[in-house]
Amino acid sequence: MTGPLLYARSRALPVTLAALAGTAVFALWAAHRMEMYLDPDRRVPIVALAPLLAAAMIGASLRTPSDELDRTAVRPWWPLRLGQLAGLTALAAALMSPAVLGHPDVFGPPALIRNTLGCTGVTAAAAVLLGARLSWLPAFGYVSAVYLGSSGVRGRAATVWAWPMQPGAQPGAWAAALGAFVVGGALYVVLGARPEGPRG
Amino acid sequence: MSTIRVTGLRVRHRRTVALDGVDLTLGTGVHGLLGPNGAGKTSLIRVLATVARPSGGRVEILGEDLSDHRRRGEVRRRLGYLPQEFGYYPGFTVREFVAYVAWLKELPAAAIPAAVERAVARVGLADRIDVRIRTLSGGMVRRVGIAQAIVNEPRLLLFDEPTAGLDPEQRVEFRALLRELGTAATVIVSTHLVEDVAAACTEVTLVDAGRIAYQGNPDTLIALGESSEGTGDHPMERGYTAALRAHRTSAAGAAR
Repeated sequence: MTGPLLYARSRALPVTLAALAGTAVFALWAAHRMEMYLDPDRRVPIVALAPLLAAAMIGASLRTPSDELDRTAVRPWWPLRLGQLAGLTALAAALMSPAVLGHPDVFGPPALIRNTLGCTGVTAAAAVLLGARLSWLPAFGYVSAVYLGSSGVRGRAATVWAWPMQPGAQPGAWAAALGAFVVGGALYVVLGARPEGPRG
Repeated sequence: MSTIRVTGLRVRHRRTVALDGVDLTLGTGVHGLLGPNGAGKTSLIRVLATVARPSGGRVEILGEDLSDHRRRGEVRRRLGYLPQEFGYYPGFTVREFVAYVAWLKELPAAAIPAAVERAVARVGLADRIDVRIRTLSGGMVRRVGIAQAIVNEPRLLLFDEPTAGLDPEQRVEFRALLRELGTAATVIVSTHLVEDVAAACTEVTLVDAGRIAYQGNPDTLIALGESSEGTGDHPMERGYTAALRAHRTSAAGAAR
């Protein structure tokens, strides 16, 4: 078995891929189920919550049980980390987009892609600061708070801080989500997840 | 020729000083690193393994200055390390785990399969090479850790508590492996087990409260125990306690 494949297995990528596919199927099922009942145009829960689930799974894959040995590697880590984070994020966005096809300027694929980038960025930063095991928590807390508290809030600032709940064409929301992905992703690519266990 | 030259090494963990002005020069052979819990043995091993950064002093390994990050890769290529907790991947077989470490060490891809089989055979796990690590006993897992440390035929080997979890027969075999490795490489073994040092080490370094308390060989440490009436059941234990006492007395005298 080649090195890149062993790396993928060391980060539980086969399980992560299966979990992302499962999330996409669930999002698709939930989206159609909503159309059938009370609120046919209500896509916000899918656009806000499916990326959150996907980011939590990506965050779990950032964990390494052998951090101490990893740090003696000759091979540079940044290409592996960058490939893992960018690849999983792109795949998650691609798999989940069919759940919200149509209405691209409101809550369609662009908003879902934006939220996937933002949630993954926050999760990656949390993996660096808290460790991969708890990396899902800040994004979960933030998106949940925005989901519950942002209805009826208007203004330019709200398009930035309430980015997970904005329509797909809002530049402020895109700037915030892209900023979170670039900062969180760069932190993870350079530093890796915080060690956990006896030396964590 | 010296493999390791350490001068004025200081390591701090927040407010605690783990190593305080350590000077050390080590060459080929098996070096036992003894000392009480919290003495700074693991901190020293981690700095030498390029895992922890010192807060002061100079560390030169295999002629490369560790403060130059571009040279650190060259040191790692010729380094083997077994931490106290090495954290394996439960789904990996022994072969896969050792091959993964060899890949991280950038061994040529064509050389990895043979290197893995050689390392696994040296630790006596050839018949378990395709078994998942999570199904192995604690002692066998420890031997997998030793196999990954020697897969790149390192010039410097760092073992932190390598015999923890090994049964007496496995420890005897491990000591024989240490002696064999020490003929061509610099091997540093941090341990609490003085019998391991007596049986396998050519040099002994005793660390206490972040400082070098004693340097010599097993025979001189045993002789110190006999002449200074140290306490302990094993001759080397008596030398160990005598050397610690002497160091603490002189350190207290210097502090006054």
